[in-house]
Amino acid sequence: MAIPVNKAIVGKEYPPYTVTVERGRIKDFARAIGDLNPFYLDDEVGRCSAWGDIIAPPTFATTFRDESRSAAMLADLGVDISRVLHGEQEFEFHGQLQPGQTYLCRTKVLDIYEKAGRSGPMAFIVRETAVTDRDNEIVATMRHITVVRL
Amino acid sequence: MKYARVYFDDVTVGDELPPLVKGPIKQIQLTRYAGASGDFNPIHQDDEFANAAGMGGVFAHGMLSMGFVAQAVTDWSGAGTVRKISVRFAALVRLKDVVTCKGRVLGKSSRNGEGACELEIWAENQRGEHVVIGKATVVLPPRT
Repeated sequence: MAIPVNKAIVGKEYPPYTVTVERGRIKDFARAIGDLNPFYLDDEVGRCSAWGDIIAPPTFATTFRDESRSAAMLADLGVDISRVLHGEQEFEFHGQLQPGQTYLCRTKVLDIYEKAGRSGPMAFIVRETAVTDRDNEIVATMRHITVVRL
Repeated sequence: MKYARVYFDDVTVGDELPPLVKGPIKQIQLTRYAGASGDFNPIHQDDEFANAAGMGGVFAHGMLSMGFVAQAVTDWSGAGTVRKISVRFAALVRLKDVVTCKGRVLGKSSRNGEGACELEIWAENQRGEHVVIGKATVVLPPRT
């Protein structure tokens, strides 16, 4: 039997949270992917680069998560984590994410729709997270589509 | 050559990115990625949990595959050149799978003194099935 998801959270914005990027986290993340690009891993290469320090790989902003907010969203939706899959992901950049910087993340639920998937009915939860720097300039935008097996 | 400088002027529509082969995927890489990313969903770590969830065993984080595809892009275009990247996770990546990331230049445009290339990007498993399908925009320097 299909489980209904709570569509009332469309438009809901979760409380903003800040993330300070640690140098070691960038390197661990790059190594976990197996991406050994020196612009991510070598402080000296970073120092001599146009950015003056190492930069983060394109998908690094996925680490900008807040477990209590993720759990709150699942609770709002009324679904268990075992039914959740990652459907789509997008990153758009206006600058580089760098060590020592603190960013503000604001996540909003844009849409929820249902569709028949290969293995049965599914709900799609579309979220957007805006990442801004200390000067309130937008650095990155993430769009996530989470799929819930109903 | 890996990490060679690519200039906007030298890119032709239809150019293919050098394929990037990743894997075979091992559990330890998924555990390491969980730690690095902060995504500790047990569905990527615990076979019993993944089976009980009806997923037929653990599978890789979609974001790990997206990381592979992003690497294929930046190995070609250079670190810090990605303006936009978007993917759809088309199929699950399982333990022992070999993931090959590929890409092709779809278009070029020049505006505000910036050269942007639109790419189609994807990843295939060892059976040739698409596991990731997406697009990327990279900004490349002009050869002056």
